Amino acid sequence: MPKDSSRHRVDLLQGTLDLLILRTLRWGPQHGHGIGVAIRASSHDVLQVDHGSLYPALHRLEKQGWIDAEWKLTENKQRAKYYRLTAAGRRQLQAERTRWSRLTEAIARVLGPA
Amino acid sequence: MLWHRLRLALKLVQRSLLRRARDDQDLDDEIRFHLAQETELRAERGASIEDAARDARRAFGSVALAKENTRGVWVPISVEQIVQDLRFGCRIMTKSPALSATAVTLVALVIGGNTTIFSMAHGILTKPAAGVQATGLVTLKWVADDGRIETGTSYANYRDFVDQATTLRSLTGFDHDRFTLTHEDGSHAVWGALVTASHLATLGVPIIKGRSFSEDESRLAASGLEAVISHRAWQDFFQGGENVVGQPIVLSGHPATVVGVAAPPFRGAVLGAPPADVWLALVSFSRVGGRSNSLQDRSTFAVSMIGRLMPGTSLVQARAELTGIWTRLQKSYPEVPRTFTVTVVPYSGVAGGNSLVATRGDAFLGIFSIVTLLTLIIVCANVANLLVGRAVIRQREIALRRALGASRVRIVRILLAEGLAISAVSWVAACLFAWWVARAAAGVIAPGSDGQGVPLDFTPDWTVAGYAMALAVVAMIAFSVAPAVRAWRQDLLPWLKAGEQGAVRGRSRLSNGLVVVQLAFSVLLLTSAGLAYRSLFLVGTIDLGFQTRNLLLVTVNTAGSAISPDANAALLDRVRERLRGVPGVGRVTYARLPPRESGWSSTSVRSTASVDPVSAQRNYVGLDYFQVLGVSPVAGREFIDRQSPRAIRSAIINKELAEALWPGRPAVGRTLWVGRGRDAENADATSQEFEVVGVTPNGYFSGFRRDRRNFLFLSAQEEPAPPGETTFYVRFSGALDAIAPAIARGLRDADARTPIVYLRTMDTQLDNMIWPVRVLTMFLVLFAGGSLLLAGIGQYAVVSFDMRRRVREFGLRIALGASSGQLLTSVVREGLGLTAAGLAIGFALSLATGRGLGGFLYGITPTDSLTYVAVFALLSGASLLACILPAARAARINPIAALRHE
Repeated sequence: MPKDSSRHRVDLLQGTLDLLILRTLRWGPQHGHGIGVAIRASSHDVLQVDHGSLYPALHRLEKQGWIDAEWKLTENKQRAKYYRLTAAGRRQLQAERTRWSRLTEAIARVLGPA
Repeated sequence: MLWHRLRLALKLVQRSLLRRARDDQDLDDEIRFHLAQETELRAERGASIEDAARDARRAFGSVALAKENTRGVWVPISVEQIVQDLRFGCRIMTKSPALSATAVTLVALVIGGNTTIFSMAHGILTKPAAGVQATGLVTLKWVADDGRIETGTSYANYRDFVDQATTLRSLTGFDHDRFTLTHEDGSHAVWGALVTASHLATLGVPIIKGRSFSEDESRLAASGLEAVISHRAWQDFFQGGENVVGQPIVLSGHPATVVGVAAPPFRGAVLGAPPADVWLALVSFSRVGGRSNSLQDRSTFAVSMIGRLMPGTSLVQARAELTGIWTRLQKSYPEVPRTFTVTVVPYSGVAGGNSLVATRGDAFLGIFSIVTLLTLIIVCANVANLLVGRAVIRQREIALRRALGASRVRIVRILLAEGLAISAVSWVAACLFAWWVARAAAGVIAPGSDGQGVPLDFTPDWTVAGYAMALAVVAMIAFSVAPAVRAWRQDLLPWLKAGEQGAVRGRSRLSNGLVVVQLAFSVLLLTSAGLAYRSLFLVGTIDLGFQTRNLLLVTVNTAGSAISPDANAALLDRVRERLRGVPGVGRVTYARLPPRESGWSSTSVRSTASVDPVSAQRNYVGLDYFQVLGVSPVAGREFIDRQSPRAIRSAIINKELAEALWPGRPAVGRTLWVGRGRDAENADATSQEFEVVGVTPNGYFSGFRRDRRNFLFLSAQEEPAPPGETTFYVRFSGALDAIAPAIARGLRDADARTPIVYLRTMDTQLDNMIWPVRVLTMFLVLFAGGSLLLAGIGQYAVVSFDMRRRVREFGLRIALGASSGQLLTSVVREGLGLTAAGLAIGFALSLATGRGLGGFLYGITPTDSLTYVAVFALLSGASLLACILPAARAARINPIAALRHE
């Protein structure tokens, strides 16, 4: 990986990882690695997600009932744990999104036009 | 119930453990899959397999941390860490087993000891009498304004309580009494109770044969009395015969019929009262005895009351209602005692009783808890000293752990876990100890063979185990705090830099003081125990002045068989003649009193000349009294049969009394006065004149007590007593088992209505007399042993802590040429400084308190030098051992290793 690209990377804000995971799962069930790759790809490699920190977050979301987990076989016939958004998770995502856009709007307003 | 819950809990734990293992496996798989995918992805982009795998791991971050954090999500409070802490605590325990064993022994002993005493108090204060279903039972008692307690009220008041109370399902009244039970095979003196018809039903005691009283029986006069007897009476008096119901008996002269047998082990509802064998309907018995009027008297306190609460009613409700009834009674009837108020307490074997235990029980428990707390504090201080000693060694380890990132909380938790491990083991040991001691103590404390023993149940139950657990928890916190505080405040740097030296603060004056206090108390207890033990030993060797072997004491009660003093005297002589004819029996005599703990009645005796009266122990004895005892008069003679009535009656005194009355002159033929009159001329009506007919050698005729020296014997024939208890002294040969039934038969032949109250040998009687001393000795020896152990271990802890602190100093001294002998003596000398202080204070305390023991001691003074020397030797020896063990370790220090510590 070229070293200079890491300069553009941004560490995740506290608590936003959950939002990203939920958002990623809107497109359908995915395993942990897939989620990590998707976040990285959809942020054009800007968001730096420590893959190790995905798992505590996934297990926490599962415990809260926002996502479901199921062991399935991948296309390559490998056993993997797939996570899926629940109805509660969908609602939570909606709420989080609203909260997030309000927050960013507010911050943008405070910072003023660049 | 409890077992079921325990199994359920176990199952839950098991299930969660299994699930935990599966979850762990899943997480491993998940992460492995992740890394494989990432590696594959990177390899596809052109990296080599090795680089791809390495980069994948780098992108992932710490696998262990991810797992740990994920697990943290599963179980919010980290049970895992606590388990780890506990495991660590146990490992520390097993690492220095000697120290852990000491700590466990100490804590187990103090918890065990306290738990034992608690279980005894619990056994006496809260347990029901045997065979009573105590749940929902309440006892009524009456408390006067001045604090006086009455355990009952009158029968008439009882009736009003029964008629008006709605909070009680049933209420029984009862009154203890002594009866003579006569059946076709003989008479027995038994205890029993006059009860209301509901008695056994209220207490929940089933009838195993026949029936209980019907309600009518206590109201209507029956032609004959109806009696329920105990299982023991059924077995002993009726040989367990099937036809016992319907058997005619005579109770204290009144004909009666056995109608039922109460289920064993019930022998009455009150602990401390003699066990009952017969229950009679109170009303019928009063009518038969012509005392019906007394039933209407509202001013008496004769009838005790126990009630069973209506289901769903509380004690408070019952108390309110019964107080209301009592107040109405006081208003309606002037003779109902004004100053008393009624109170309702939960039933127990002693509740409501006016025994010392019942009235002072709360105060006792209060004092007891203070003592418990104090001993617990001392022991915990010792254990804390021990643990701090160990913590010193581990201070570097702890500093290292902190430097590596363990939080203070985690360190303190580890130390607490260590404490928990110690107190958990101690708790189990303490419960076993208490269980064993309580059983053993119940055996020792139960007084001997006179049949009056109170059956006590000291076996610890769940309450007691819970109490022990509470103590264990308190102890754990107490002795973990000191090391924990040390760890909390510990500075890292000096430890990491310098090692132990200089950083350990010096040994505290407080712990030295603690050791001295413990040693002093130990000395005090040891001297007390030693004195008690010595006097117990000496009692066995005292020459009483008469022959105690092969002498049987048979106490009979003539209340039901003679009506006047003269008839009584005639009956006693008849019985004496008859008993002399029993095969195996030698001489026989009788006396109004046997030797006993309380002695005989004390009487003032004066000679014609003496102004100040002399106090003497007085007894009325029959013919041959001194011959039976194997004592021959030093002057004069014994009482002679059928002396012709004389103006002056005869007396026999012992040498000591003769010397006191007529020093240096013969006493026989002289006159003495018995009674309180000021002098011979002004003798009042209570003063009587006697002629001394004989003088006996000195002896302890009323039992051993040094303060009982003067004895006055009067003739039972010349001074006949009203019918009642008299004790026959029977010389016998051969086996007691054969003689006792023969004597019972002889007595029945002489007079079938006279029961044997009890029968025992003189040796047993004398042995029972020293029972209080035996119990006192047992407790003192136990406490003294415990305190010696405590003090010794306390001293050991302090000395060995001090030694560890100075490892480098010792190493240096050895390196500079000190021999191990020199080191040994120097450490021991410092340790024995504490011992000297403890001994000095302890002996001073012993001398000061010794007077209090005086009354319990036989044959020695409270300053017995042998005891003091023995205590000195014992304590010094124990102390020496406590100092030598750590000192020897100091002497063996390898100087190179000690100095390399730096």
